[in-house]
Amino acid sequence: MANQTPKRAAAEERLSQVAAHVNSTGSNAVLQKHPDDIVVTTALRTAICKGGRGQFKDTPAADLLHGAFTSLIQRSGIDPSIVEDIAVGSVLPPGGGATEFRAAALAAGFSEGTAVKSLNRQCSSGLQACVDIANAIKCGMIDIGIGAGVESMSTQYGPQAVTEFSELLEEHKKAAECKVPMGVLSEQMAKDKSISRKDQDKFAADSYKKAAEAQKKGLFDEEIAPLKVKYEDPKTEKVSEITVSKDDGVREATFESLSKIKPAFAKDGSIHAGNASQISDGAAAVLLMKRSTAERLGQKVLGKYVAASVVGVPPLLMGIGPWKAIPVALQKAGVSKEDVDIFEINEAFASQCLWCVNELGLPMEKVNPKGGAIAFGHPLGCTGARQISTLLYELKRTGKQVGVTSMCVGTGMGMAAVWVAE
Amino acid sequence: MLEFRTSGFNPYSVKYSPFFDSRLAVGGGANFGLVGNGRLYALNLNSNGIVCEKFFETQDCLFDLTWSEQHENQILTAGGDGSLKLFDLGVGEFPVAGWQEHGREVFSVHWNLVKKDTFLSSSWDGTVKIWTPERKESVATLPVHSCVYSAQFSPHHPDVVTCVSRDSHLRVFDLRTKPSAQNHMTLAIPIHAPPKVSAPGMMNQTAGPTECLTHDWNKYRDSVIATAGVDTMIRTFDLRVPSGPVNMLPGHEYAVRRVSWSPHLSDVLLSASYDMTCRVWTDGSNVEQGGTGTGLGREMGRMDRHTEFTMGVDWCLFGAEGWCATCAWDERVLVWDVRDVMRG
Repeated sequence: MANQTPKRAAAEERLSQVAAHVNSTGSNAVLQKHPDDIVVTTALRTAICKGGRGQFKDTPAADLLHGAFTSLIQRSGIDPSIVEDIAVGSVLPPGGGATEFRAAALAAGFSEGTAVKSLNRQCSSGLQACVDIANAIKCGMIDIGIGAGVESMSTQYGPQAVTEFSELLEEHKKAAECKVPMGVLSEQMAKDKSISRKDQDKFAADSYKKAAEAQKKGLFDEEIAPLKVKYEDPKTEKVSEITVSKDDGVREATFESLSKIKPAFAKDGSIHAGNASQISDGAAAVLLMKRSTAERLGQKVLGKYVAASVVGVPPLLMGIGPWKAIPVALQKAGVSKEDVDIFEINEAFASQCLWCVNELGLPMEKVNPKGGAIAFGHPLGCTGARQISTLLYELKRTGKQVGVTSMCVGTGMGMAAVWVAE
Repeated sequence: MLEFRTSGFNPYSVKYSPFFDSRLAVGGGANFGLVGNGRLYALNLNSNGIVCEKFFETQDCLFDLTWSEQHENQILTAGGDGSLKLFDLGVGEFPVAGWQEHGREVFSVHWNLVKKDTFLSSSWDGTVKIWTPERKESVATLPVHSCVYSAQFSPHHPDVVTCVSRDSHLRVFDLRTKPSAQNHMTLAIPIHAPPKVSAPGMMNQTAGPTECLTHDWNKYRDSVIATAGVDTMIRTFDLRVPSGPVNMLPGHEYAVRRVSWSPHLSDVLLSASYDMTCRVWTDGSNVEQGGTGTGLGREMGRMDRHTEFTMGVDWCLFGAEGWCATCAWDERVLVWDVRDVMRG
């Protein structure tokens, strides 16, 4: 097997390699542009709406995904028939959603030649989907792909999403810990790590404030693709068609109002509905390809994928996932935490997010500048893909470059990825 | 100082013969190795200076070469097209053997100094491969998953292999171990890690991982390795304390392309850099020479006669202890005595 890269591309790659030797010291290296970079040309999401009573309460997950797909095709202008694979992260649907997601892709205009898979790594499924696609492109399995995430917690949240544990698992201590409800274990973690209710409420109030301000200024408008759905009015039972283009979970909440809410998981607890992520519905999609492909197709580059990490932590301390995952991703990317301009860290609970931020020594103003899951919701499988559009548009708007997305993962894991906006 | 011009070709590597003190091999490519042919020169030092004994043409740049330890006339080359070729100075104009397994540019080749029927190669395809001249297929493939700029056998143990790569790690493989999930890897040392013992007045903070381009085993201390690369810093590591560098030698202004320990003095090494200089260093380990034992290394002198990126350095194994050869993209090979550039 001879060198299979065409001659000209090989020369370009050798040239950029030498250029990197001469130019780069530390973080500059990630800012350089190479033809084999994996780039994002379009990243968007639907609005995120309150589970059970929000504007998407009557919309199935596959329809949300269909909405994200059609908007993505329209916005990017990509010929849908050249997209080779789509990975969709989703947590709750029975059977992983494999059947209806393939159907949603076909309905959205992708050809039958476009493969679709669903995957589930709990709350990081959306990120895992994007990373899987990036890796498939990197190793040459495909040239163009979409990483997506979707969740309809309105229609699919509930006990049926988890299989009963067998006796074998129940009797194994570590294994049995995997099914401790996340609220309960986070409550214990908050207690053990002495994260006070006051600090949590303050963090949550900030999230609401940042999100409300961002929404008012229209900072989400670029990433949100409006979606037309059917909605049944709970009072009149009248079904009407509405266009949803704003996150409906964002509300006015202050530290004072939050401190009045009763704890949800323990009488003397600190976690409550106001300082934990909301139950929500939403979908997000990210179009990925090599830079050389983007240039060939005339796709405008929004940012690039640099590196990702996945780590395991004790199941009962699943909230510390980002704390362990972020340094690994940074190390792989070759940047220090000081080089990072924005951290999008999922706010599963104010307690765990706050702990990770403090433990990593991150300046609070760099974390979730437009608020997070506490303010506008955490549609499980969608979040990882959602963070990418939130991050890249904010980096772009503020003229900054390096960003990190990260989240904790139920049963004790963490994921993180490094991105550069262009 | 003796000079040879490689007109039309930009050399990447120069190596002294392990058999003759007057023989040198130089490998390189046209157009700075970006695109076009490669060429291997066999040079002789005589009373007229440096003369070309023979050259071989290849279809892609030669990024590295190594002399056979078995046969005085044979040279192995690392090709940009992923091939390894064995040339014999006594046989025609074509290679006497070739190996093609790497999927991308081969960046280094090295002959085993102890088990002399073994050599290795490392490539941009993220692997190190172990070979024997008798077989068409590699004996082993060591996955690194990152562009491997440099790989070597230990000069002390025939089964110990080290490599440095784009991901800023120094990896140690022991071929005697079982091929488990680790694929013979016994150590992976982050090169950018802070030094184990912080020395006063030294830069103990590093900028994070950067590409590591070169490394070399110390010929006397069997656990000591020097590395260098894009962050301009030369580091020494002691495999007995693998958590971080023992010593750091700052000074080069651009990436360091190659380092080589002296075959005569246990504390002296030579470097070639994109800053167009070649520098002589002591790592400060030689107490008799005024070093502190563990302590601070320093630059002892530099040669700045090259006018382009310097890519290759090698020490002459024979005779007086300071003779070396360097090559650079200025299409020149220089043979000189490091003692001439050392400051008192």
